[in-house]
Amino acid sequence: MPRIRLHRIVIFLLAFFIGVPVSAQSGNPPPADQVFSLTASRSTEGGLQLDWRIAPGDYLYRDKIAAKTAAGETVAITTPPGQIKDDPTFGTTEIYHDHVQADIAATDLPAGEVVIIYQGCAERGICYPPVRKRIDLAAMTVTNGAAADPLGDIEAAVPNQSPVGSPANVSASSDGISATTRLLSGHVAAMLAAFFGFGLLLSFTPCVFPMIPILSGILARSGEHLSAKRGFVLSAAYVLAMALAYAALGVAAAWSGQNLQIALQTPLALGAISFVFVALALSMFGLYDLQLPASWAERLSAGAAGNRGSIGGAALLGFGSALIVGPCVTPPLAAALLYVAQTGDLARGAAALFALGLGMGVPLLAFGTFGAGLLPKSGPWLVRIKHVFGFGFIAMAVWMLSRVTPEWLTFELWGACLIGLGLYLGAASIFSKKSWCNCHVGPETLGAIILACGALLLFGSISGNDLLRSLPIFNSLRTNDEVAGGEFQTVTSLATFDAAMATARVTGKPVLLDFSANWCVECKIVDRNVFGDKTVRERMRDVVLIRADMTDYNDDSRALMQRFNVVGPPTMIFLDAQAGQEIPETRTVGPVDADTFIGKIASARGS
Amino acid sequence: MTTMTTLTSQPAVLLRRVLISIALFVAVGSQPACADEADTTRDAILNDPAAPVAGNPKGDLTIVTFFDYNCPFCKKAEPNLERLVKADGKIRLVYKDWPILTEASVTGAQLVLAAKYQGKYDVAHQALMNIPGTKISAEQMREAIKASGIDMDRMDADLAAHSDEITALLRRNLAQADAIGLQGTPGYLIGQYKVTSALNYNGFKRAVADARALAAKR
Repeated sequence: MPRIRLHRIVIFLLAFFIGVPVSAQSGNPPPADQVFSLTASRSTEGGLQLDWRIAPGDYLYRDKIAAKTAAGETVAITTPPGQIKDDPTFGTTEIYHDHVQADIAATDLPAGEVVIIYQGCAERGICYPPVRKRIDLAAMTVTNGAAADPLGDIEAAVPNQSPVGSPANVSASSDGISATTRLLSGHVAAMLAAFFGFGLLLSFTPCVFPMIPILSGILARSGEHLSAKRGFVLSAAYVLAMALAYAALGVAAAWSGQNLQIALQTPLALGAISFVFVALALSMFGLYDLQLPASWAERLSAGAAGNRGSIGGAALLGFGSALIVGPCVTPPLAAALLYVAQTGDLARGAAALFALGLGMGVPLLAFGTFGAGLLPKSGPWLVRIKHVFGFGFIAMAVWMLSRVTPEWLTFELWGACLIGLGLYLGAASIFSKKSWCNCHVGPETLGAIILACGALLLFGSISGNDLLRSLPIFNSLRTNDEVAGGEFQTVTSLATFDAAMATARVTGKPVLLDFSANWCVECKIVDRNVFGDKTVRERMRDVVLIRADMTDYNDDSRALMQRFNVVGPPTMIFLDAQAGQEIPETRTVGPVDADTFIGKIASARGS
Repeated sequence: MTTMTTLTSQPAVLLRRVLISIALFVAVGSQPACADEADTTRDAILNDPAAPVAGNPKGDLTIVTFFDYNCPFCKKAEPNLERLVKADGKIRLVYKDWPILTEASVTGAQLVLAAKYQGKYDVAHQALMNIPGTKISAEQMREAIKASGIDMDRMDADLAAHSDEITALLRRNLAQADAIGLQGTPGYLIGQYKVTSALNYNGFKRAVADARALAAKR
């Protein structure tokens, strides 16, 4: 009986994991613009060559492909014979699957630009409205044409102005996804190399330090005589397992379709991670030695004949370690996970994260192989370095907590940190007979300065003094609300969003919908770099600002995200207040800089 | 052949297809904060006073159909839907003319909505849905409506007199389709479910049963 029940549970779980994302993906078909992607190039005869990539299961109509001048005159376009589709309900039509190429002869090309119109359906039973694209014949760029308003003619409305395409839009498929995510859609080899590089860079951040004592623990337990070969094998197992853990994370993201970034950023998770960092810091200060629990170590080394057990143990710890440093690598991880979750491309997402893990592991590998040589000789020098790491870990803990703690508390914590560091440096210089570094500024001076800064932060935030805000250095610590919050109308549900849109409609101004959250670090960067920018603020003067606050990630906020197909903050979308719909080519996902965003404002204005 | 090519009649495949093609229709703002402005709330979609309604007006389940008179899949699915509405007897069917595919589609929608003023929306609607093909011209549509026995003079007069109302309704329909994230025709709201492709008879039937089951659970 229990066995049967277990079977049922397994089948249920399988159905759950396999079934859910499939329905989530196919439930809402992708827009026509994604299904039919158009690129333009100059043909060898000087004409215009148009290439469509058609998603599997979709098709384009031959007789719905048309070219026009900007003024609306028909331009002759040559299309190849299509597949004949003969069906009682459809009539006889000629269609293209997969790929089609059309040409416009050089002699037929108008000056400046040409508008291409095309239309198609999906075999699963849905027909798309016509897509219009403008092609700049000098730059060969494809941008969205004026959105066709089906009722435009009968209303005799004022004709839509052509949108001002931003030069960044080089192909029809570019839809404003951040650079990292776009990277993922490039060549596989280039993508893997890039993620490997990312990993390598990340390995030089403090993120990887917690792994060093763990790895050295493994090596130390591996036996009296640790050869370079043995060290290499063990650390390779450790690093491979770590990379696999990231790959698994990628697969999980693709399967679940959920935003793992959000899961990793809940106050509970952040609190736990901060706690781990504080614990690490305390061990660095020598309060206790960080060792694996003895029982673990025994179990790991107690495996079958020495070697295999240790390799397995190394692998196990490698897998676990990836989760320890997980939050530290959030930005590239989130970009990869966002992409994986969006596309559901398991293999690519997993490979990217695997490469990331490998990159992060390279220095560990070096450490494991040449460990003895690389390890600094014990002495006061090493103790000081450990203390510095300790302060680094404390800072990491505060930084992580600052995503969820209120601003005043964050200042308190930073203040306390600095005071601690200042006292430490002061004490160090008092107790050491001679200066322990060759700096021109003595540690006691440095300590006094840091102490003063810490006190300023601590007491400044207690008294609510505006002095802090006048200091440029603290700008980087400012949060959302201060930079731009005042101008944003905050919504947290579809109902409040609809109400805000109703108000915006009266003003007739375009709307910027910004998905943001207090726990979202990139959002704060966007706030500072984009909304803090003078030009941006100037250009945004006649834009209605609505902020969808995802801080409480619940059904209401999920519904808002679903309405706009948003995977996670930071995402910014310009909306047409009248139609209440997204203005094409204006979406940004992930951190953007002010210049890119100014381009988006121009696109939004142009439509 | 009345069933869809993509929907085979094998029950297992069918079930899978239905499961795949229905996704929860997320309520679009349950409480309109500003009733005059909010045309795209759930209530506005289900109860637009100007939208034609068929089936049982007091039914326990509402199906909203977004369609275009040049949409082949809409035409294929239409008889299945109408048959189910009749057989079931407790479905309220709301028509949303959503002319997005061709210019003639807009004319067709205007004509059919004008016929509503003489109480003949369903006649005109059926006349256009019964013309097979994807490139029906406005003239062909006019001919088909004429052949169905509609008073053409009255229709033209109503179209002239109520032009603004009809355009406003179409405008609302466009906004509503956008609000619920439809990308192409046809699109259906079946209770709480959003269905974004054409279905055959059993597909509709299953979706209706699922929607009722979901409603009972809530």
